[in-house]
Amino acid sequence: MILRKCLQVREQSKACLQWARAKSTFTDLIDESGQSGVILKSMSTDIYENLAMEDWIHDYVDLQNRKILFLWRNGPAVVIGRHQNPWQECNLQLMRQRGIPLARRRSGGGTVYHDLGNVNLTFFTSKKKYDRNRNLHIVTSALKRLRPNLDVRATERFDILLNGHYKISGTAAKLGRTAAYHHCTLLCSADRALLSAVLKPTCQGIKSNATPSVPSPVKNLLDEDNTLDCDTIMNAVASQYNTEFGFSSPVTLVDPSDEFSFPGIHKMSSELKTWEWTLGRTPKFSISASFDLHDNSSRQNASLNIDIKNGIIDNCEIDLPPHWLPSDVRREFCMLLVGGKFCPNEMAVILAAFLRTTSQELKTKTYNLYQNVVSLM
Amino acid sequence: MAMRVALRCISANFSPKLPQLSRPTQLAASRLLWRTDIPRTLSTASRLSTALKFTDKHEWVRVEGGVGTVGISSFAQEALGDVVYCGLPEVGQKLEQLEEFGALESVKAASELYSPMTGEVTEINTELSDNPGLVNKACYEGGWLIKMTIENPGELDGLMDEASYDKFIKSLE
Repeated sequence: MILRKCLQVREQSKACLQWARAKSTFTDLIDESGQSGVILKSMSTDIYENLAMEDWIHDYVDLQNRKILFLWRNGPAVVIGRHQNPWQECNLQLMRQRGIPLARRRSGGGTVYHDLGNVNLTFFTSKKKYDRNRNLHIVTSALKRLRPNLDVRATERFDILLNGHYKISGTAAKLGRTAAYHHCTLLCSADRALLSAVLKPTCQGIKSNATPSVPSPVKNLLDEDNTLDCDTIMNAVASQYNTEFGFSSPVTLVDPSDEFSFPGIHKMSSELKTWEWTLGRTPKFSISASFDLHDNSSRQNASLNIDIKNGIIDNCEIDLPPHWLPSDVRREFCMLLVGGKFCPNEMAVILAAFLRTTSQELKTKTYNLYQNVVSLM
Repeated sequence: MAMRVALRCISANFSPKLPQLSRPTQLAASRLLWRTDIPRTLSTASRLSTALKFTDKHEWVRVEGGVGTVGISSFAQEALGDVVYCGLPEVGQKLEQLEEFGALESVKAASELYSPMTGEVTEINTELSDNPGLVNKACYEGGWLIKMTIENPGELDGLMDEASYDKFIKSLE
């Protein structure tokens, strides 16, 4: 901890923040410094820690007469908006296979893919001074200062387009009691192939009132100009932020896992990781699907209707003729699903228990039915 | 509100004596009588809003039969823009005064909602699930958000009445 604080001191030039005082939290230090403009950069690449950092700043720092810019990057992750349905937005199966976590923001907006080639910028202000257009102007001005001929423009929907066509940045915001934050992504050198693959939902037949994403073709800034890497861009935005508001803030490193400087932050990042938040907060939805079932000798078409509320199966109906699977077996299978999480792990446990009580001849058919249901998850 | 009450009192005193008044006084009295008719011809929104109390977070509460209906004010819905999603709590959820109970989403911004009082959620407006725009179109009527019990009626005294709220929003502009 002391070593980290010394590194932070070296990072600053003329900042008034007194890192030597060991007993101060971040809020104390900020208040004592009297600075009205602060630029922070995260030392973490964990999506949950960084989202928690945003929540912490929003909840605990006095933003009435102060502005903060927070710069952060994450390892591969898919981030959905507060009121979105992940089954409708991304390929959860592929994400599980590749170990790519899903996170749900507290701000609105659509689904994005993050990796170390994507820069995130969060602009904190009081609610009165909340101005997304001004923030995006800072970003486009910063980019144009680096490369004057770069064609980057903010749209009415608060996207930033490159060459009038490719989306390089998406925006979202959260307005609280007295403060607000506006954050946006910026694609520098992200893995576009993986981005396309994970943002392609595989679950069909969803009926939901969750806020949908608007898919757009994307491009990396590095593809346009191979000197536009993440660090260059972050420094340029920081510099432009200072210019825009007349600040002279250095970029200060912060550690979102430092419970001492940010009391309560660990609880915030833990909460963001829970199933109840990431998947359980999905607005209620239903799925209508049909599939072909096989056994060794024949095939049968089946249809399925599932209602899911808070990520839990609320109702399940499978339409399947009794010659394929006896009605009582089919009904029992449905009843077992109700009340369980819409989650393959949970389903596997339920199925294992169910198969133990099923006759040998029905095991294959039941397993086939299970595989089709799980493919939706 | 106090002015209207005063006018009503005056009209009650004046009307039986009208025929005996001198002309200028008659005109003045008839003008007063005319003005006391105004409360009956107010628009629907105002009539409803006389019973509303407001928070400084631009939420309103209407109390009827021990149940409080909660929504957001016209000022708030205009500032938000078109509401595309209403994130509301579950029936049965207990709320403390000032506790965050949900969020309204409009153009990629999630605007949090704070409970005006302490109580338990008894009903949520299910119309908003298919028609979130009701919050913009009818913020005092069809666009209500939740209904809740009122555990501490004293909390209502701390809220603004319509006149105070109007002054408050003027001070913000």
